[in-house]
Amino acid sequence: MSEQRALSRRRLLASVAALPILAATADGASISGTMPWSPFAGEPPKPVNPLGWYFFTPDEVVTIEAVVNRLIPADNLSPGGKASGCAVYIDRQLAGAFGQAQRLYMKGPFMPGLPSQGYQGDLTPAGRYRLGLRALNDYAHATHKRGFAQLAPAQQDAVLAGMDGGKIALRLKPGFSTKEFFEMMLQNSMEGFFADPLYGGNRNMASWKMIGFPGARYDYRDHIDKHNVPYPRPPVSIYSAEG
Amino acid sequence: MRKLFLAAALAAVSSAASAAGVDAGRYQSVLGDCEGCHGKNLAGGVELMTPFGKLVAPNITPDKQTGIGNYSGEDFRLAMKAGIGPGGKRLYPAMPYPAYAKMSDADVASLWAYLQTVKPVRRAVDVNQLRFPFNLRFMMRGWNMLFFRPALYAHNAGKGAAWNRGAYIANGPAHCGTCHTAKTMMGSDKGMALSGASLQGWFAPDLTGDRNAGLGGWSAAQVVEYLKTGRNTHSIASGPMSEVVEHSTAQMNDADLRAVAVYLKDLPASDGNGGGASGVEAQMKSGAGVFRMNCAACHSFNGRGDNVLFPPLAGNALVRQSSAETLARVVLAGSKAVATPAAPTGPGMPSFAWKLNDAQVANVLTYIRNNWGNRAPAVSADTVAKIRKSLQPASH
Repeated sequence: MSEQRALSRRRLLASVAALPILAATADGASISGTMPWSPFAGEPPKPVNPLGWYFFTPDEVVTIEAVVNRLIPADNLSPGGKASGCAVYIDRQLAGAFGQAQRLYMKGPFMPGLPSQGYQGDLTPAGRYRLGLRALNDYAHATHKRGFAQLAPAQQDAVLAGMDGGKIALRLKPGFSTKEFFEMMLQNSMEGFFADPLYGGNRNMASWKMIGFPGARYDYRDHIDKHNVPYPRPPVSIYSAEG
Repeated sequence: MRKLFLAAALAAVSSAASAAGVDAGRYQSVLGDCEGCHGKNLAGGVELMTPFGKLVAPNITPDKQTGIGNYSGEDFRLAMKAGIGPGGKRLYPAMPYPAYAKMSDADVASLWAYLQTVKPVRRAVDVNQLRFPFNLRFMMRGWNMLFFRPALYAHNAGKGAAWNRGAYIANGPAHCGTCHTAKTMMGSDKGMALSGASLQGWFAPDLTGDRNAGLGGWSAAQVVEYLKTGRNTHSIASGPMSEVVEHSTAQMNDADLRAVAVYLKDLPASDGNGGGASGVEAQMKSGAGVFRMNCAACHSFNGRGDNVLFPPLAGNALVRQSSAETLARVVLAGSKAVATPAAPTGPGMPSFAWKLNDAQVANVLTYIRNNWGNRAPAVSADTVAKIRKSLQPASH
């Protein structure tokens, strides 16, 4: 215990000593008068390339597409998760900053946290998907002698429900529960289904049409006085030039 | 002791008198917008892209090595009014000596008195970066022989004092025609004075009484408000005019602004903008969709904008110029309106280059130029493509 404390004390001193060096590189600017402006300013989000896979392996593609298609099944309300591009959305997110947990502090020590604090382990979201999808297929092979994608829809639903309800435990890692993996896939599928099409999901704005959301419009003054009249215009994406 | 006191009193009196002269000279520099090209500290460096290449405004602080500290008053008068520097060096008419030639010698002398009091700045400027053969200064002798008709402002006895004062300012020190009058391939004036011209990727609008593209729809009070604050209910100054407002017109006194307005409001109408577009139903339909999606939130579905913050497009002469150069530029690159002490907000227009292709920009411009009673020629995708390329040479 005392040795550990001495170590952390030394580390603390070292990091404090490093502070002035870091601070010296920090940039500051003061602005007076009007706000600065430059032509062509703007950082519009870049639309993803809709073709190919950036993160998932071919096996993983088959499995995740089967999952999103059960979480959001095709019915008379909307196309399914696969046709809506949810797997493409998740793939692009995992290949990017989200997948690498670039926004998070990802060095140890890794301590168990409270449920409200979310995942506290050393795996990035990309690592969790890689581990989780493999464990999901291993489970399907062990119990049904087939991959998850080859199961009947009712069997797939039963597996997913078991993961959600704590009745099925995949071989994951300590600190990364099966229920957490299920909730992650559900959360990301919903994001893909409802996010702007430029991110790879919500193809043809099908989810927005389903719920009557007019999309990235920002002016309804021509309609605001028409009470109890549905908004007549179709949804538009951030990248829709006309509407 | 008494002598000393007397000397001190005399010195105080004469310095007060010269201070008044310097103030008058400083006002001449406001009228002439010296800062617009020579910079806030007058040490030069502002680049002017002309059709003949690049000119950089020189240092006009009293520094002896790099400025005009070695000029005599007569040297300065000749540079201002004849375009001839010390040693016979010919100036280029980007320095608007053809307009300054109209200034009275008294006004030029008072400007000289002021410039001698400016803080000297040591800064060498490589002025002449024109292409061959335009970089050969002696050629300006020929240009001057052909096109330069130096003449003091001629008082028009048929007009009132305000009109004459306005005409003197607009055509003399304020040199409005340097931008607002079209130029020939040789850089001399052509066509009707102040009826609008293209330069540096902007279209300086028609200032004549034309009701469609000119100031025919503005009252004299609205002209004054625009020049004083940079905006009125018709328009907001941006681009090169925002600099003119900031460095020059916003600092002019109200009597002079009224005089300029009286003069401009008396200009006969130009030949107009070429009339409205016809046979462009497809462009109008697409343009309406682009407008609803990208423009309406600020400029309103009815094109009326929002008073002085978002300029109206309906009835806006700037929208109805013969050339859509300024409009295409503003849609592609965005723009920032001038901020003046009277109107400090300086609202901005975002860039749409990332989102709208050339045809969509052309369609929405054709739409706003021919909707809500506006009538102006259609805009083609080719025109927009050329303007986009000129603004973003690296990325396209």
